[in-house]
Amino acid sequence: MEGKRSCLSSSIPSDLLRRIRKLTLSILTNLSNGQSPVVQIDRFRNYCTETSGNCYCNCGISVGKELLTLQRECHTRRLDVLLRVLLVVQTLLQQNRHGSKRDIYYMHPTVFKEQSVVDRAINDICILLQCSRHNLNVVSVGNGMVMGWLKFSEAGRKFDCINNPNTAYPVPVHVEDVEIDIIGVARYILVVEKESVFQRLANDSFCTRNRCIVVTGRGYPDVPTRRFLRLLIEKLHLPAYCLVDCDPYGIDILTTYRFGSMQMAYDAKFLCVPEIRWLGVFPSEVEKYCLPQHCLLPLTREDKTRVEAMLLRCYLRREAPQWRFELDLLLARGLKCEIEALSVQSLSFLSEEYLPSKIRGGVYI
Amino acid sequence: MEVSSVQNLCKHLIFCAIQRCRMSDELCRISIVLKLCPEFNPPLVRISVSDTGVGCNLKEFEALRYATNPISASKFDGVITITTTGISDNEIHTFSLNINETISSGRLTKLSSISKCGAKFSGTEAVLSTAESLNDLQSDISLFLHKMSMVKLPTVAVELLVDSLGVRGSQLQSCVLAVDCSPLPSSATNIERLKSGLEEYVLKHGNRLENFCQLCFSTAEHLKVGTGMAKRSGTSQSKRQMMEAVVVISETSEPAFPACCRPSGKRTEVFFFKDFTPCSIPQPSLDALTSIKWKDYGLTLKRITDQDDIALLEWENLPPNFHIDIALHSYHKEVMMVPSAGNRQADKTFTRKALKLALYELKETNDKALLSSHALKICNYAPDLAKTIAGLVLSSCDINFKKECFSVLGLQCQKLEASGLENCIKDKILSAIGSNDRKAQRTREPAAILFQNECFQLDFQDEDYEDGEEMFSSLKL
Repeated sequence: MEGKRSCLSSSIPSDLLRRIRKLTLSILTNLSNGQSPVVQIDRFRNYCTETSGNCYCNCGISVGKELLTLQRECHTRRLDVLLRVLLVVQTLLQQNRHGSKRDIYYMHPTVFKEQSVVDRAINDICILLQCSRHNLNVVSVGNGMVMGWLKFSEAGRKFDCINNPNTAYPVPVHVEDVEIDIIGVARYILVVEKESVFQRLANDSFCTRNRCIVVTGRGYPDVPTRRFLRLLIEKLHLPAYCLVDCDPYGIDILTTYRFGSMQMAYDAKFLCVPEIRWLGVFPSEVEKYCLPQHCLLPLTREDKTRVEAMLLRCYLRREAPQWRFELDLLLARGLKCEIEALSVQSLSFLSEEYLPSKIRGGVYI
Repeated sequence: MEVSSVQNLCKHLIFCAIQRCRMSDELCRISIVLKLCPEFNPPLVRISVSDTGVGCNLKEFEALRYATNPISASKFDGVITITTTGISDNEIHTFSLNINETISSGRLTKLSSISKCGAKFSGTEAVLSTAESLNDLQSDISLFLHKMSMVKLPTVAVELLVDSLGVRGSQLQSCVLAVDCSPLPSSATNIERLKSGLEEYVLKHGNRLENFCQLCFSTAEHLKVGTGMAKRSGTSQSKRQMMEAVVVISETSEPAFPACCRPSGKRTEVFFFKDFTPCSIPQPSLDALTSIKWKDYGLTLKRITDQDDIALLEWENLPPNFHIDIALHSYHKEVMMVPSAGNRQADKTFTRKALKLALYELKETNDKALLSSHALKICNYAPDLAKTIAGLVLSSCDINFKKECFSVLGLQCQKLEASGLENCIKDKILSAIGSNDRKAQRTREPAAILFQNECFQLDFQDEDYEDGEEMFSSLKL
């Protein structure tokens, strides 16, 4: 299972509790010596804008350290939040209970003010204790959906998707408790960006005619969705294809699946899917499929800024030059479109023509 | 030099008397006598300022002028009778000085000389008559002398004698400032005396009490004090000038009783002394006070007012029962009867340096005193941090771990409740914040420490310390 680091033993909770105690003791020792506590947090990133290609992004290596002390107010605030969340985590681990990030937020909403503050503290704790979020017994409500040729169980509860291959099932949250039952039935995994496209495929009974597993994160994929996808690929050894809108957000979601997110950069090794391939919609195939003009919208200023920033990411140069080429083309043409544009002439075009032909023809990058 | 009232003239006469006493090697006495003369209409008050210092060489009166307007002219005719003799003089000389006279040759008239018959003594008496109210004069000069007791010139005794005719005939009241009634040794420096004087002034609620106020101050440890001294040389060693600053912070544990309240309330009266005499604060010193970055000491200055020769600093959001007192003393090592004109910018820098040294010392020697505004903001987190850390200890299932934590904190595990642990941790957090703040001050003020004992002529610029909270971006998400 991912999330285990080499230094964690099989008894993860007690190891983590031991680390929490060690951290608490070090804080008290500093204070007893008349010094401010110092909490060192490694910094990770999954990309940079270095053009030489000699960076260490996404290798799981820390790119520096932040030192939180009582010398700066912003750091003191972060320490305050971090220690409050740590106290909750210690309680959860000791009592073998789980709590959601939202539960933690509601314990001190006036102090935390925003959910993102809690999320950041949880990330900091994961880095400090060198573990993954689920090791802390902190869960998030799952957002992803799956359908198709798949059977799995989660903590003993069975999900038989094959019985109703076009029915959506929620992606399990406790991925560490998931067992995949049948191997070798599906031929590939299709990841789609949006719920609307997922529903389109369900309505078209895509999985009846195509032996595959369809997953959606319903936008930017959350951690359970990404973990589940990674589990599927590790267990089933299937190719994975990604279908996103031909716009900066869609391509950013694509890169999240493949290279991970900056927010979760410390855990990127266990969350990203390097095997995933971009199936469509490419900027370069807009003319080929004769998409109607009214479906092609101009890029906004924000879109252009976003694309320009993405073009600087080191991993595109290093590992996905073809994706970079398509991004360049998107910027040069200044036009974007959604997947739904493929359905304008015929509702079933996407599921009956576009997807099967692209997969059969190996037209992916 | 121009004086605008009889009261100010008296203060100038006292100033001159003090300088003459400083020049003497002997113990000296200054007597101020106020005698009501009701036989005149309107009644006059005869004022006599006499000293047993060195004889007067009259130079200090050369530039003395009395500002004439209808009101002041009616109070005083401008005539001062001066009787003086030096230690080696054979005679006692008497002069009449008219400070209203503009023609210099007509100002001074020699009146008489009396033989000393071989006796060896020196001294001076200046006498004038005024139509000012005796009570007003008495209260003004008393206040002046109370302030003067702060600088504690060790070799000079000062007394005020008031002779008023009442129903029962002549009444003589006296107010004597003892030579040196403090526990300080005779070798104490001027700044030590100023510090002791200001402490006493505070503990006696403006020297209105005979002894320390037991209601507000059970011990003198309620006071936190810092002193600072700056020196500078003029063109010669004889013109070496000192600026001393003392800052006292008093925090009383009980709310002040009405009788213990100061006339200035929560405002800080800045006491300024020039050559051992109280005087109104000069503009460069006011400039220096304005220029201090008070937020580095956790204070917000609302405004400075300078009214009736009293400089008051008004603060924002001072904690209750918290009071600040400041005394500044500028003096020449060698007595100068007629001080030279200063340079405003240089004088401002000179005052500022002494004041900053005093604030620096106060902060260094008193834990948690004068924490900067930045540190005070961080202190606000201390209770919550302490509660959380105490929670991490107490909620742990590992008994050995708890014991170890208590041991590290120097506490006995069994006897302590959660609140006790929290308070202990909170105190340590506050100490750490104070320590950080002092370290930051040391980084900011290297010039002040470097030049502590050196003379300087030039204006030095303090480095601006920008307290950037978000100076570099934190982790980008």
